[in-house]
Amino acid sequence: MRDVAILGVGMLPFGRRDEDSLMDMLAAASLKALDDAGLGNESVDAVYVANMGGGMLQHQASIASSLVDRLSLLPAAAETIENGPASGASAVKNGVLAIASGYYDTVLVAGGEKMREVTGWRATDFVATMTHPQAEYPYGITLPGMAGMFTRLYMEKYGVTREHLLAISLKNQEMGTRNPYAHVEMALDREGIFDSPHAVVNNPVSADPLHLYDLCPVSDGSAALVLCTVEAAKKRGKPYVVIAGFGQATDTHTLAERDDPTDLKAVSLAAQKAFAMAKLKPSDVHVAELHDAFTILEIAESEHVGFFKKGEGGKAAVAGKTRLGGQIPINLSGGLKARGHPVGATGVAQMVDIVWQLRHELPENRQVKNAQVGLTVNFGGFGNNVLCFILRRVEP
Amino acid sequence: MKDEIALTAYKCKKCGKLHYPFHDRCLECRGREFEKVKPQGNAKLLTYTAIFNLPWGFDQRFLIIGVAEFQNQVKAMGQIKAESVDQLKVGMNVKPSWEPIRVQNGENVYGLKLEPM
Repeated sequence: MRDVAILGVGMLPFGRRDEDSLMDMLAAASLKALDDAGLGNESVDAVYVANMGGGMLQHQASIASSLVDRLSLLPAAAETIENGPASGASAVKNGVLAIASGYYDTVLVAGGEKMREVTGWRATDFVATMTHPQAEYPYGITLPGMAGMFTRLYMEKYGVTREHLLAISLKNQEMGTRNPYAHVEMALDREGIFDSPHAVVNNPVSADPLHLYDLCPVSDGSAALVLCTVEAAKKRGKPYVVIAGFGQATDTHTLAERDDPTDLKAVSLAAQKAFAMAKLKPSDVHVAELHDAFTILEIAESEHVGFFKKGEGGKAAVAGKTRLGGQIPINLSGGLKARGHPVGATGVAQMVDIVWQLRHELPENRQVKNAQVGLTVNFGGFGNNVLCFILRRVEP
Repeated sequence: MKDEIALTAYKCKKCGKLHYPFHDRCLECRGREFEKVKPQGNAKLLTYTAIFNLPWGFDQRFLIIGVAEFQNQVKAMGQIKAESVDQLKVGMNVKPSWEPIRVQNGENVYGLKLEPM
């Protein structure tokens, strides 16, 4: 297999983008990535588009074909990848494999979702369609509901507390204020959402025991990157980022069928595969973007990828070990919690943020000094389809 | 309410692993033949949540949902007949029934309901 590099990246600010269509967002992020890659008017061999809801929310199919047409990249190959909230990393994986195999030399990957043009009621239902169609969905279960049941078990088994979850909310929303691409640019006040009697109003229960500020927002957004061979990246004559390793694993569709529902096996397996391929270990990682659709997931994933022992992730967050300057800074973009979670875009956006980290391009208040290795976890369903990527900086 | 819990689990004829919902091949040994098993007795609540932001199709303030394990080890999700999660505890016994869980196209959809005992 050939090694694969990331030649260019681009992202649009996440949030409520009423003025843009889904195609506007995908095209704009793609152009940013193509420009960043220095491709000018050159074409690419293939385009992979990550999107989960175009068919349901925009009544639009064959989105990748449409994007190739919008960008005048004809006759490039084009495919849309739908893999729930893990669509982004899945699309990147398909692009990486296509280049690694030698079949293509240059690939554009774009991820996008437009979720705010429907009501919250509809958006919640749309996301819930990834639950089991007979054993879960008819009951009215939502993804926050799945996370609520998971949190209760995790609290009972590992002693995770609301104080631990709060540490994630406060950290990630603070980082959101430093990220111009974040949907939520509002720092949280501990008093207002946790300590004071008003907290019950400001931060109501959403999916017990999870509260409003334990959940990511519903967002519009897009992100893109250009993949190429390492030889092509070397020719640029400046530091570049390579895909050092990746792994993907699945788990049972229903939470009820897992022997231990607190064990996110697909996260552990995906990370183990990625570390084995990269010939690295968790302590080699300098910065990570984890899939914190719910605060509990940042804690659980930080343990399952191997940054902390089981039961230690929450305490580590409270101790500041996952902040900028800490042992392993996590979600310096604000994560899904603050950057937002336009489902098809998330996996791509996580990698764009890590590329910015490894190219040392972020402002001081977000940049991990001399970051060389970054990790992403993109979590589909409720942990039934997970991808982990490890990216590494290479000097020319 | 219906008399029968219209839920079927599947026991692998080769290794005995119990599945719900249906799989075409056994999760353990990949066997393809299954014996149909009906859930038996009361159930034990394994986990639960109260959801306040409901999906399209549910015109109510909140829903309490949980996962329970029947006496013959069948595990399934159900709606819980309680006013608050304060009435619930992991490990408590719940009485199962088969009742309307939502309305679709003007028709009742039946499913598992769990009543704290």
